[in-house]
Amino acid sequence: MILKIAWRNIWRNITRSLVVMGAIIIGIWSIIFLVGMVNGMIESYIDNAIKNEVSHIKIHHPEFIKDKESKFYISDIANVKASVDTISGVKAVSYKTITNTMISSSHAGRGISAIGVVPKDEVTVSGVSNHIIEGNYLTDTKKNQILISKRTAKKLKVKLRSKVVLTFQNLENEITMGAFRVVGLFETGNNIYDESVVFIRQKDINNLLGMNGYGHEVAILIDDLEYLDQIQKSIALQFPKLLVRNYKEVQPELALFQSQIKMVGIIYMVIFMLALIFGIINTMMMAVLERVRELGMLMSVGMNKGKVFMMIVIETLLLAIISAPVGLFLGYLSTSYFHKTGINLFFYSEEGMKQFGFDKFIYPNVPTETFWQLVVAVSLTALLGSLYPAWKAIRLRPVEAIRGSFTSEKTRIFSRITNYIQYKLFNSKS
Amino acid sequence: MSLITIKGITKTYNPKKIPVHALRGIDLTIEEGEFTAIVGPSGSGKTTLLNIIGGLDRQTKGEILVDNVNISDLSDNKLIDFRKNKIGFVFQSYNLIPVFTAAENIGFIMLLQKKSKDEISKRVIELLKSVGIEEQKDKRPNQMSGGQQQRVAVARALASKPKFVLADEPTANLDSKSTSDLLDIMENLNRNEEITFVFSTHDQRVIDRAHRVVTIEDGKVISDVKIKN
Repeated sequence: MILKIAWRNIWRNITRSLVVMGAIIIGIWSIIFLVGMVNGMIESYIDNAIKNEVSHIKIHHPEFIKDKESKFYISDIANVKASVDTISGVKAVSYKTITNTMISSSHAGRGISAIGVVPKDEVTVSGVSNHIIEGNYLTDTKKNQILISKRTAKKLKVKLRSKVVLTFQNLENEITMGAFRVVGLFETGNNIYDESVVFIRQKDINNLLGMNGYGHEVAILIDDLEYLDQIQKSIALQFPKLLVRNYKEVQPELALFQSQIKMVGIIYMVIFMLALIFGIINTMMMAVLERVRELGMLMSVGMNKGKVFMMIVIETLLLAIISAPVGLFLGYLSTSYFHKTGINLFFYSEEGMKQFGFDKFIYPNVPTETFWQLVVAVSLTALLGSLYPAWKAIRLRPVEAIRGSFTSEKTRIFSRITNYIQYKLFNSKS
Repeated sequence: MSLITIKGITKTYNPKKIPVHALRGIDLTIEEGEFTAIVGPSGSGKTTLLNIIGGLDRQTKGEILVDNVNISDLSDNKLIDFRKNKIGFVFQSYNLIPVFTAAENIGFIMLLQKKSKDEISKRVIELLKSVGIEEQKDKRPNQMSGGQQQRVAVARALASKPKFVLADEPTANLDSKSTSDLLDIMENLNRNEEITFVFSTHDQRVIDRAHRVVTIEDGKVISDVKIKN
């Protein structure tokens, strides 16, 4: 019976109910879309960072990460690679030599990191080969090839097939240099990264540094992030003298970014819920005030306070129950659509997005738990929002409410006094 | 046999600051099957008295026995149950549930009493017939005239099979024809089914039909006249 009254009461003032339901629908949809966008951005950022820079796990000489000096190498790096390759769950492994260098053209020069790679291995781990915009990726056959970014090429004023000179300090601390021909230009979308690295063959760089068979870094991609810690531990056990770190340890800002963005999502959700709670209180208070006489009658004829309270609570919950699925469905539809097509954020700010390492397209992705969290959050909000109006309803005195008055004790007494005076005046005149 | 016994009832509002005496010692007995009108000018205390008899308000002093139960001693929750099972209410503004049909409005109290569906539908039809609005059973209050709504209210008041019906100015919002029809219905119910009715009114049309008229002024009973049996 209470459910029946509550249900029909919702449709009593359709406009008002639709406004509240609209607020819930838009709120839920916007949170889903926001969470989807935020997740999409996190995934894009981390994915880019992993593919182009950090990979999932990296192995270094423990001292190398401090100042990247060439002398802190991993000897017999090819064997390390081969051993890691056999670990279950490892998708791809590459190794490289990394050193700071001076790159010069006939027009300009700049400091940069030179990364010596084994091209056939590197393409399995790094996504740079997918970002070649001119020319080709490095090959294993030709000597002294170099791959530079479009931005570096612009700064050095060089083009494809131009020659540049790299100057290094070898293991003997002597200056050594080599001339390299630009075979390809890349653009990863992350400007900072693009301006800080060039790629050459490991063989070439090792020859110049005098460290054949050595290397500075082993980069590993795994099949499933769920096993990241397990694989990392297994590698660390195998190479106790080497430093084995996962991508969160290599770039702590990734984890920080991830948690901060998630926190922003939660803050938005809380703000929405707060706004919604006041909207619900306002609407339900209006519904109670509009129905004072009716509530008075219900209490007069024998509906107890618990039932009156429940009636208001159920009415509010029904508003949420009707609108929440619509909001969830709209959110699911819109994020699913954009998950397929992507949202072109460069349309908004190409340079800004590149500067922060985001992809051109963001693919919103909403975890299933977000939908459940929203269901719980909206139900809780509706419940909390209904408590005050329901409490107000049961505070009504039936004797006053049946007359439609929602007055305070003082007003009631004042009205009795004026009635009494009127009566006395009327009697004395007659 | 006395149904309602009122002994020395007083009601003072705001007793500690500016006391307003709404009732100043009322003694009254209402027998089963009476058709009584409590009359008096505005502010005389008739509605206060009716509210106290109905357990909607509590007296400051005195005792009130309804069906041999001292309702002054009942807790708020027990009083709600008492009202639900023993008293029928008819209000001046009908006070029907606007989202319910006539039949649902009548059956609603029986749902509160946890009666079975069959029993409810049988009683609802019976009551709709007795107040002459059978054909209005599926209409909502806003689709009915004032007179029809007040008939639904009377049927609702009778639905719980109460010991008596309290009607607070039941004809105040009705035209002459509707008033006359409603009074016919209530008088018939009183005569044929021996239902006790207690009205508060200052409507002469109601006073003329009452079998007993209790006049209150300034919180006191100034006359109590039995017109017919």
